[in-house]
Amino acid sequence: MNCLEFRRRLGSEPASTLDSFIAHRAECFGCAAAHSRADEFEARLRRAVSVAVPVNLADRILLAQTTELRQGLRKRRRGFSTLILAAAASIVVAVLALQRPSQQMPALAAMVDAHLHKHVVTASEAQSEVARQDVIDTFAQRGVSLAAVPDGVNFVHKCPAGPYKTVHMVMPQEGIPVSVVYVVDAPPQSRVEFSRDGTYGREVPMGKGTLVMLAASSNGFDSIENAWKSAMDAGVAQNREVKTLFAAKSLPGAASWDWRTRVAAP
Amino acid sequence: MPVNSPMSSRQHQFEALVRGHSTDLYRYAYWLCGQDALAQDLVQDTFLRAWRALDKLREVGAVKAWLITILRREHARLFERKAMPSDDIDDFDLPDPQATPEHRTEESALRAAIGRLEAKYREPLVLQVIGGFSCAEIADQLGLGEAAVMTQLFRARQKLKGQLGFEDQSAGVSEL
Repeated sequence: MNCLEFRRRLGSEPASTLDSFIAHRAECFGCAAAHSRADEFEARLRRAVSVAVPVNLADRILLAQTTELRQGLRKRRRGFSTLILAAAASIVVAVLALQRPSQQMPALAAMVDAHLHKHVVTASEAQSEVARQDVIDTFAQRGVSLAAVPDGVNFVHKCPAGPYKTVHMVMPQEGIPVSVVYVVDAPPQSRVEFSRDGTYGREVPMGKGTLVMLAASSNGFDSIENAWKSAMDAGVAQNREVKTLFAAKSLPGAASWDWRTRVAAP
Repeated sequence: MPVNSPMSSRQHQFEALVRGHSTDLYRYAYWLCGQDALAQDLVQDTFLRAWRALDKLREVGAVKAWLITILRREHARLFERKAMPSDDIDDFDLPDPQATPEHRTEESALRAAIGRLEAKYREPLVLQVIGGFSCAEIADQLGLGEAAVMTQLFRARQKLKGQLGFEDQSAGVSEL
């Protein structure tokens, strides 16, 4: 490195650690003096650019960082909680959707419903419980053998519903008449719950046919379903004695029901 | 030296970075934007970004250059958003309680002169004086050739000395 190169380097990088730079400084008195002057200027320059730093700058940065860290963790936790809640909500919605009656009435129930609108059962027709033998006989005429009859059948009749053969009954439950139609020749499908225009319904595969219930409320469906399941099971077990489950008795207040507005029946 | 480590160690490492480099970074940011509050924001944003990207840092030796790069990007983002003036900064008179009155006067004059430098001269000079970077490292930081950086640094010093009437030890070396 010659003097010119040294001075160029000195003007641009006074603290250069290049071997040739250091070597030239050591051997050239003039350049060494220039280097000393440059060092003084660099010291002034360093002082000038070293502006005062705000107090606690590092602490404030660390505080900002830990705050962001906490917020991030909180967001992640919240996000995780939201995911859990969303998953739980989805399960609840799914369960409710499964439990909620379908808005669509199944084809079989629609046929039954259409028949009920054509063949209206009046209150006087379903005022009191019919004889159990009448129920057994009606079912027998449809080819179904019953060894027991549920309590509370106030009306029974053989009716067609579309192409199907049915036994149509009225079984009041908790003051509300329920149209109970056993479709003898409808192949059993899955159990369906539905609701449309204030009418609640349920289709239950039972025996070789399907039991259809229609009413203004679904409150009595469970007890009717259970009673008919027991009756059908008893029918299968032909001579089995059923004593306590089906005691004949009439329901109070049946005469006050508004049959025409609450339920249509044959 | 890898900087991959568990959470507590990561936090410890970050604290060391902040305590070790926040002063230089603030000063660099200050000379970049010329405003105390903005410089503080830039430094804070830089460290927050550094915290998020700490796993990308592979060599502790390169941490200062890495932080400077982040800060320059933050400043560029800010500049894009708000068109901050970066030249002819007049507001460089920060009080320095440790300076003597004589030094304060001289430093004030020198600071004002640095502030009057064009950004293309001021930025490499500040990087060199504060960061201690070589011409090659500054060239790498600024995306320029080393020769260009040497020229800018040489001229920056000449301009300062010319403004303040200092004797120029490189007299006769007018051009590189």
